[in-house]
Amino acid sequence: MVNPLIFMHAILAEIGLFAFLWVLVELLNPTETRIERAKIAASIGAVCLLTAWLAGGFYYVEVYGSAIKPVIKASEAKWVHSIVMEVKEHVFLFLPILALLIVALLHKFDKEIIKNKDARVSIILLAGLVFLLGFSIAGMGAVISSGYRFALESGLA
Amino acid sequence: MNPKALTRATAMTIAWVAVVTICSELSSTFKELLASIGGHHWIGKSVLSLVVFGVLYGVFAMFGNDRFSLRDTSWLIATVVLSGLAIVIFYVVHF
Repeated sequence: MVNPLIFMHAILAEIGLFAFLWVLVELLNPTETRIERAKIAASIGAVCLLTAWLAGGFYYVEVYGSAIKPVIKASEAKWVHSIVMEVKEHVFLFLPILALLIVALLHKFDKEIIKNKDARVSIILLAGLVFLLGFSIAGMGAVISSGYRFALESGLA
Repeated sequence: MNPKALTRATAMTIAWVAVVTICSELSSTFKELLASIGGHHWIGKSVLSLVVFGVLYGVFAMFGNDRFSLRDTSWLIATVVLSGLAIVIFYVVHF
């Protein structure tokens, strides 16, 4: 059975990432209503990513380190931990900070986004960056799960 | 709220995460120091990244102007890409 913490981590992170895709779409042709919706979406996204950070962090420290990591590192797929997991756990730290920045920029510029091209393009680019970076990290999560399954099938657990 | 200071603080914090990540792998003493903050080096980095973000925002807001432009965002995106690549390359070489 999937650990509830890793399930929470993955689901919340994916909701958060799609919330930033929603922000991007709303700002392609902004109106006052769309900006309000973008602010709601960004807030949902930031809360989800911050909660995913806590859930993933707790799982990583309390479960992964003692139960999953030794199995992967003892297998031929030890690169899955030594490269993929190490990259994932550190690059993930970029996401909550970028999410908070997007929320702050949306609230700061608010209706001004309609006329301020720099602010609008900046938020669109940053929301796109969060979405792409986030799903790259989700892909790393899938590789780690596969690495663990590979290690288990190798009879090392 | 100063958007230019926020963007700069974000960029510097992300670069800081990359530098601290690499330094902690190269120095076990430094890694232990980070672990002493919350019981695990990753928790230490996580907590410190929020503290660094807050401090840098205060510094940039106090001493910089607030004329936000697309150039600030471009620098931030370049920092995210370069910091991410630095972490990837480091762990591949380190392996």
